[in-house]
Amino acid sequence: MKCLVFYLYLQATCTSSAAISQNSTRDYSSVHTQQPAGPIREYKIDPYILLEDELKYVFEDIRQELHQGTNQQELIQIAEYYFDGQGKALRPMVTMLMGKAINYHMHRENSPQIVNAQRKIAMIAEMIHSASLIHDDVIDQSFSRRGKPSVNVIWNHKKVTQAGDYVLAIASIMLSRLKHDEVTLMLSQVLNDLVQGEFMQLGAKETENERFSHYFTKTYRKTASLIANSLKAAATISGADAPLVETAFQYGKNLGLAFQFVDDLLDFVSSSETMGKPAAADLKLGLATAPVLFACEKYPELNPMIMRRFKEPGDVEKAYELVHKSQGLEQTRFLARKHCLEAIKLANKLAESPYQKGLTDIMDLVLNRMK
Amino acid sequence: MSLSRLCYLRASNQILKYLSTSTSLEKNVFNIARTITSTSQSNAQSAAKAVHKPDWNRAVSEAEKIVGYPTSFLSLRWLLSDEIANVALHLRKLVGSNHPLLKTAKNLIYDGKSNMQAWGLIVLLVSKAAGHAPDIPEMEQDKSAGVLHSQRALAEVTEMIRTSHLIHQGLVNLQTLANSGNELSADSEMIFGNKIALLGGDYLLGNACLQLAGLRNQELIELISSAVRDLAESNFIGDRDEQNNALPSDPAMKINATFDENLDELSSTRGIDMSLVLGHPEREWSFRHTLSSGSLLGKSCQGTLKLAGQPITFQKQGYLFGKHLALAWQASMDLEPFRMSEIPHNVSFSLVSAPVLYHLDYDPSLYNEIKKGFHSVENIDYGKIHEVVRNGPGIDQTKELQRKHSQAAMTVLDKFPATDARTALQNIILAMQCL
Repeated sequence: MKCLVFYLYLQATCTSSAAISQNSTRDYSSVHTQQPAGPIREYKIDPYILLEDELKYVFEDIRQELHQGTNQQELIQIAEYYFDGQGKALRPMVTMLMGKAINYHMHRENSPQIVNAQRKIAMIAEMIHSASLIHDDVIDQSFSRRGKPSVNVIWNHKKVTQAGDYVLAIASIMLSRLKHDEVTLMLSQVLNDLVQGEFMQLGAKETENERFSHYFTKTYRKTASLIANSLKAAATISGADAPLVETAFQYGKNLGLAFQFVDDLLDFVSSSETMGKPAAADLKLGLATAPVLFACEKYPELNPMIMRRFKEPGDVEKAYELVHKSQGLEQTRFLARKHCLEAIKLANKLAESPYQKGLTDIMDLVLNRMK
Repeated sequence: MSLSRLCYLRASNQILKYLSTSTSLEKNVFNIARTITSTSQSNAQSAAKAVHKPDWNRAVSEAEKIVGYPTSFLSLRWLLSDEIANVALHLRKLVGSNHPLLKTAKNLIYDGKSNMQAWGLIVLLVSKAAGHAPDIPEMEQDKSAGVLHSQRALAEVTEMIRTSHLIHQGLVNLQTLANSGNELSADSEMIFGNKIALLGGDYLLGNACLQLAGLRNQELIELISSAVRDLAESNFIGDRDEQNNALPSDPAMKINATFDENLDELSSTRGIDMSLVLGHPEREWSFRHTLSSGSLLGKSCQGTLKLAGQPITFQKQGYLFGKHLALAWQASMDLEPFRMSEIPHNVSFSLVSAPVLYHLDYDPSLYNEIKKGFHSVENIDYGKIHEVVRNGPGIDQTKELQRKHSQAAMTVLDKFPATDARTALQNIILAMQCL
C-alpha cells in the first residue's frame, strides 16, 4: 500500500518521468523509456517497451485459453497457428495504451484489477482479428501470411473454417466472464461490422459519387471498428464517462482508418520496391482502394476497370501503372495523415502521462511503417 | 446513408409492422414448404408408415400454434435484410455449379424433420411449459404466447447458430487444389461458393452474438458461446476423409473400461480420455452428437430457464431435456435410411450413424469397407453397408437407443407442470419415435 501511494505521488508530481516502476518487474521497461535528462517531449515512446508487462504474455495466454477449450489436438493447432507471437499485436498494444491512459486520466493510477480486465479485452481483440484472418484466408485462397504458409494451405478448409468459429467462441466466453453488458455489446457489434464489411467488398456497383463513401464505410467496418470498439471497451471498463468513452472510440476509429489507408498504399509501394514487380494484391482480388479511387479522378479510363473488378487481361497492370502516374499515392498518404492528426488531437484531450504520449507517438509508427 | 436506402428501410419497417400483426403470410409459406416435404417423404416411405401412428407434421404445427408463431429465421424480417438479399442474389449465380451450398440451402428450407425451425420451436415450448418467476416485469412478457420476449430472442439465436453451423459445414475443401498449384480460376465457382457460404455463416453467427449480447445476461452468453465451441469441436472427432466427412473409428480400438458419459454442460471436453470413447459404439455416437447437436439444444433449453429466473437445479433439468431430445432426434434420423429395403443409387447416409456403429461392434469385418473411404467416402459401397447393417442387430439397438433418450427426455418433462406446451412436447417426442 505504501508503495502504491508513493507511486501515485510520483505520477502526480513528476510529469517528466516516462514510466516509474510500480514494482520490480517494471524496472526493465523504465530503463528503456526513461531518459536521464530533458523534458518528455524530446523523445519518442516505444509502446512495446512501455507495455512490456502487459504484452509479453498476451499470445501465451491466448494459447492457453484455446488449449483449455478442447481436447482435439488438430483444432488447437489450427486455432493457435496465428498466435505464434510473430504478429505486431497492434490491437492489444493500442488497447492497453488507451486503457492505461484513461486509467491515469480518470484515477491518476492504474489499478491492477482494471488493467487486468483491459488486458482481457486486448486479448479478445486480437482473437477476433485472428479469427477473421483465418476466415479471410479461406475466402481469398491465400498462400502465405506473416512469412509462413497460411492456414488454408496446411489444413482442410472445412476444419479451418470451424477453427475460426472456435476462436470466436472462446473469445466470446472470455468476454462474458468480464460480466459487463456494454462491453459485450461493443465487441459483438464488431463481429457484425466485420462481416458486413466483407459483404460490401463482394460487389462494386456503386456510381462514382458513392464509391468513396462506400470505401470509407467498408474500411471502417473491416478495420477501424475492431480497434475503435476495443478502445471504447477499455475506456468503459475503466469507468470513463460518455464524452471520454467517445474520445477513446474516435481515437481508435481515426487510427484504424489511417492504418488501413497506409496498408492500401503499401500494396502499391512496397511490392514494387521489394519484389521489383507489381504485386498489387488488392487489384488482383478485384478491389479498388483509395489510391485507385484517387487516380480515377485524373484517369477516367479506370472506371470500367473498377466496374469489372480488373478481371480482363492487362487490367491489373494498367491500373497499377495509372495509379503510379497519378497523384493517388500522395493523396492517400495525405488522407492517412489527416486521420493521424485528428487522432493526436483527441489523444491530447487526455491527462499527460507516458501512455497518453504513447498514443500520439505511435502515429509515426502507423504512417511510416514498411509493411 | 443514401435516400434510397432510407426509403428502403422505411418500407421494410412497415412490412415488419404488418407482419407482427398478421403472420398468416409467413404461415402459408411454411405450410407450402411442409406440404412439399411431406409429399416427397410419403413417396419414399409410404410402405414403412402405418396409419395410426402420431403424425409428425401435425405434432409440429399444433405446437407452433401454442407459442404464437414460428420463430424461424426464415421469417421475412430476415429475408428483407440487405445481407440475406445479397446472399440470395449470389446463390443464384451458383445454380448450375455443383457447390454443396445449394444443397444446404435447399435442405434448410425444405427438410421437414431436421430444419432449424423446429429447434427454436422446442426452446419456445420449453419456455412456455416451465413458466417464469413471478418477479419478471410485465413489459418483458409476450402475454399472448406465454413466453418472454427474451426467450423468443434466444430461440432465434439458437436457430441462427445452428443454421450458421450447417452452412459452414457445407464448404468444400479446396486445399488439394491450392497445394497442387492448379490454375485457381478454373474453379472460380467453387471458390465463390465457399466465399458465400463462409460469409453467410459468419453473418448469422455475428447476428446471433449481437442479439445474445442484447439480452444482457452474461451467464447465458457464456453458456451459449460454449455451445458454439462444441459445434466447432464436433468437426474434429475421429477419422475424416478429405472433405471432412466423419468415418467411424476402428472397432478394434474399443476399450472396455468404465466411463462417465455425461458431458458437463459448461466445462470443455479437455479432460475426456478419447481412447475410452472412440471405437465404443454408444459412447462414440453419443460423444459426437452431444457436441454436434445435444449441446446447443440442451444449453438453449437451460438458457431459456435461466432467462425465466428458474432455480439452478431446474435449469440443469432443462439442459438434460434438450440434450436427450436432440439425441433421440438424431437416432430417429439415423434410422431413416434403413427403413428403405434398398437405398437408391447415389444416395448416401452418415457412416457414424448409430446403426453403422453398432454393426461395426457386432461384426468388425465391416470396417474393411469403411477403410476404403479414408481418401473419400465416395469410394465406399453404401449399398453393401446398407444391406449388411439392415440385416444385423444395429437397427434394433438404435431403436433401443432412441427409446432410451426419448424416455430420458420424457422423465424430465414429468417434472414440468401439466400444460398444453408440455403436451405438445410429449407429442413431438412420440411422433419422433414413429418417423
